[in-house]
Amino acid sequence: MIRSLGADLIGISPELPDNTLTMAEKHAIPIDILSDVISEVLKKYRLWFAVPAEVKALYLEKFGLNLEKYNGAGRWELPVPATYVLDRSGIVRAGEADPDYTVRMEPSDIVAAIRAIVGVCG
Amino acid sequence: MGLRDQLAQFDASRNRPPEIVAILKRGNESVRASGVAGLQIGEHAPDFALPNQRGEMVRLSDRLSRGPVVLSFYRGVW
Repeated sequence: MIRSLGADLIGISPELPDNTLTMAEKHAIPIDILSDVISEVLKKYRLWFAVPAEVKALYLEKFGLNLEKYNGAGRWELPVPATYVLDRSGIVRAGEADPDYTVRMEPSDIVAAIRAIVGVCG
Repeated sequence: MGLRDQLAQFDASRNRPPEIVAILKRGNESVRASGVAGLQIGEHAPDFALPNQRGEMVRLSDRLSRGPVVLSFYRGVW
């Protein structure tokens, strides 16, 4: 739906590029998945944070999750999950950011924002 | 059902112990309190160039020259 309206969808995470995928699998992914391995863009967009000590301990001890495995050595850092809809001049026309990763922008709101930009009714 | 409701339903179905839920909640609140709030509506999104999954550089301004762009910042695949 996003693409049929002439918009592009780009994913950004702090993770190292995924080495478990074959090149064919990488070509099969229809959107760009970008790796911000020095958290440069996360910081520019004011979404960067260091995982709080208590949460880090929980991930390690209870979830068996070591973020360094995905992000690289010493990188206990993440973005606040966020979605932004940009018009062609790069202005944020709609968006949401929430540290609670279970709260995400509604896909219907994303589509509505794109429709408003490209001037499609309905 | 919207995505938000689906996610809430999934989260509830995990039946996490209250002490774990409390730690995650405190974590979210501390991040919120630190003022990490992202871009505001109407603000100009900073340009950037980052490698995609195939190692090709993707520049935001190049993509914007073709049409609107939806940026999705996510934590990871884990």
